[in-house]
Amino acid sequence: MQSQEPAALQLRIQELEAELAALRASAQEASGDIVTSAEAREEQKESNENLPLLLDEYRRYGRQMIMPEIGFDGQLRLKRAKVLIVGAGGLGSPAAAYIAGAGVGTIGIIDHDTVEHSNLHRQIIHSTSKVGMSKVESAITYLKDLNPNPTYIPHVQALTSANALPILTPYDLILDCTDHPSLRYLISDTAIILNKPIVSASALRTDGQLIVLNDPPGSGPCYRCIWPNPPPASTVTSCGEGGILGPVVGVMGVLQALEAIKLLSRPAPPEQKTTSMTIFSAFPQMAFRTLKMRGRRKACVACGEPADAKDKITKEAMEKGLIDHIAFCGTSAPVGLLKPEERVDVREYMKVRDEGKEHTLLDVRDETQFGICKLEGSLNIPYSEFESLALAEDTASKIPESLQSILAKGLPEAPIYVLCRLGNDSQHVTKQLKDAGVAGGRVFDIKGGISEWAKSGVSGPFPQY
Amino acid sequence: MASKAPPGTFKILYFSSATTITKKDSEFLPAPLALGKLFDTLDENYSGIKAKVLGSCMVTVNLEYVDIEEDAERELKEGDEVGIIPPVSSG
Repeated sequence: MQSQEPAALQLRIQELEAELAALRASAQEASGDIVTSAEAREEQKESNENLPLLLDEYRRYGRQMIMPEIGFDGQLRLKRAKVLIVGAGGLGSPAAAYIAGAGVGTIGIIDHDTVEHSNLHRQIIHSTSKVGMSKVESAITYLKDLNPNPTYIPHVQALTSANALPILTPYDLILDCTDHPSLRYLISDTAIILNKPIVSASALRTDGQLIVLNDPPGSGPCYRCIWPNPPPASTVTSCGEGGILGPVVGVMGVLQALEAIKLLSRPAPPEQKTTSMTIFSAFPQMAFRTLKMRGRRKACVACGEPADAKDKITKEAMEKGLIDHIAFCGTSAPVGLLKPEERVDVREYMKVRDEGKEHTLLDVRDETQFGICKLEGSLNIPYSEFESLALAEDTASKIPESLQSILAKGLPEAPIYVLCRLGNDSQHVTKQLKDAGVAGGRVFDIKGGISEWAKSGVSGPFPQY
Repeated sequence: MASKAPPGTFKILYFSSATTITKKDSEFLPAPLALGKLFDTLDENYSGIKAKVLGSCMVTVNLEYVDIEEDAERELKEGDEVGIIPPVSSG
């Protein structure tokens, strides 16, 4: 650009710039802010002791600071705030990015997991080159590049009943970005004891939920007020099992960051408290619903006064390890319905195929999964069909004729091998078929399902999902 | 889901894991019905739903939280919209 300008004009620009620098220096001297060395002047470009923010921060946060909802004071409150993000996954990824971008001063991230390929479609702060790295380290690497100003505190560990109190204590606000009911109750109970608000979000498949809990502290509701009873462990589905669409969990994480920024930048909690839960459904037609909630539940064991005072969840009880959140939510024991001789491993089943033995391969995955990959010659009857038979007790262990005829498929006496994704549903179906006397009781479960088939490589490269 | 409840019914919306059992996201049920009888009525229609889903879910009436025990006497009226909202815990 300069080369195209006349030399005289360039010279004049240089003169004016020199004059301007001299004027600035004398103005600073006059104000008592004496800058002597060139190095100090260089530093002066990025910080000024008289200014509460770095010059970089004025530029960086300008677009949000000029909004009356945030303003300069709101920005300072964000800078002073300390936020803990529990979980650096599908919710934590976008939440952390927006919270760091907005200039929250101290950001802690806790997660014990490492980055996997199956995370990348939704956990947008991780990347292909970070597979195998701890999620916390991967997240902080990304966030430092996005905004080097905040202080980032890594916690590469699982949050447990034993460490939750000391870990949460230094923070002003907790973001629940976790993936299991036991952690949701743990975070809620700990935050109630420590008088901290929580921004809680969750997502599975095509649905999401968002709520700000215990804001202002003491007013409730807490997680237990809304859901006093955990869902039965056998019905709890993870994103790995149930599936998740990236933008669904993404939108929930972004909304979580928004609620966090609102809460931290405001001068004081609103006088008239209203708690609402936002539920998001992506299908069939996208909808957000706002549900009006109540405050603290009087008899809540965490934030209220339970009928029996012994039930109250106290700091002392937590410290003594008397509150077991994992036991409270229960664990689904590995399915062990069958005797060893009723099961075959993938290699034994490969032999059955190699030797060309007459048999039926029954794949009980749902139609969607069956559509991803399948073994040649397999017959698909989804597990849900067997499950509904088991639900109606009077017909339990009876297989309707319609299914029988599909199963027989011209091979009424040939053995049946049952396959599912991970080897749990197939055990239930094997037992049901055996109990009903199908195929003369010659029904076998294939251990570890199609996932093990792929991993073992018995039939060469096979898709893993 | 936008359709209105026909006369003599209320609308019930099922969310997340509730739809896994009902295989539908909404339907109409005969009104009036005491809130305290809702779970048993649903369990008659969907065997096992009470133990699997309802025992741990939140219920709303016309987009407002209701307490199934404290508000058991409350009557679900014609035209009401009830929400069965199990906790989503993943992320």
